[in-house]
Amino acid sequence: MNSILQTLGLSASGMSAQAERLRHVSENMANSDTPGYRRKTVSFDADMRGEVPGAVEVGKVRLDTSALTEIYDPGHPLADDSGSYDGSNVDLLIEIADAREAQRSYEANLKIFDQARQMSQGLIDLLRR
Amino acid sequence: MFNNIEMMQTAQAMARHASDRQSLIARNVANADTPGYRARDLPSFADSINSSAPAVGLRATRAGHIGTPDTAVELAGAIDNGAEPSPNGNTVSVETEMVKAAELRQQHDMAMAIYAKARDILRTSLGRGQ
Repeated sequence: MNSILQTLGLSASGMSAQAERLRHVSENMANSDTPGYRRKTVSFDADMRGEVPGAVEVGKVRLDTSALTEIYDPGHPLADDSGSYDGSNVDLLIEIADAREAQRSYEANLKIFDQARQMSQGLIDLLRR
Repeated sequence: MFNNIEMMQTAQAMARHASDRQSLIARNVANADTPGYRARDLPSFADSINSSAPAVGLRATRAGHIGTPDTAVELAGAIDNGAEPSPNGNTVSVETEMVKAAELRQQHDMAMAIYAKARDILRTSLGRGQ
């Protein structure tokens, strides 16, 4: 029973990590037109010393250091002498791919969680009959 | 007393093996996007129960031997699956893990069916019916 509880804990940690990743992706997408916005990325790490060994830990939020896109719009209030201003470095294609990957991983974790739950239910049913 | 019935003991070991293996699979799936994480797996139940194959955890040959705690047993038998890593050093394949999860689900169901059947036979022999 102990390992089933551990399974539930591990899947839950995976789901919350993917949910946090999706939150940052949505933040990036929402700010794709914000001038000077740098996209945020998170990294995952396996926590081997915690209460549940191997649970996923969400690392620090880092800013993407790639160059900001230069947008030419002389009428914009932020435009400099050459008539262009710094946009964000968010690429919507990358963000959508990232969101889809997070969704798939979340579903995989959910499936394992559900299976562990059904297995423990089967164990309890043994007692009931 | 019922622990000494070999069929029940085997069914118990089988169910325990399935849930230990599931815990490792859950760890692999949870870390499917962790850079540098290497997927691990337990040897199959048939391999681990066969005395010629390396056992899961430490084997006690005398009554005085000290057993290892549950988590240590689980970690000691875990093997790297040796898959090709992706560019970030991760070797988890979610598809493979799902196939393994379906396999061990079947193993767990089978173990519980065997246990229930053995219990029903015991109950019948006591004259209680089912």
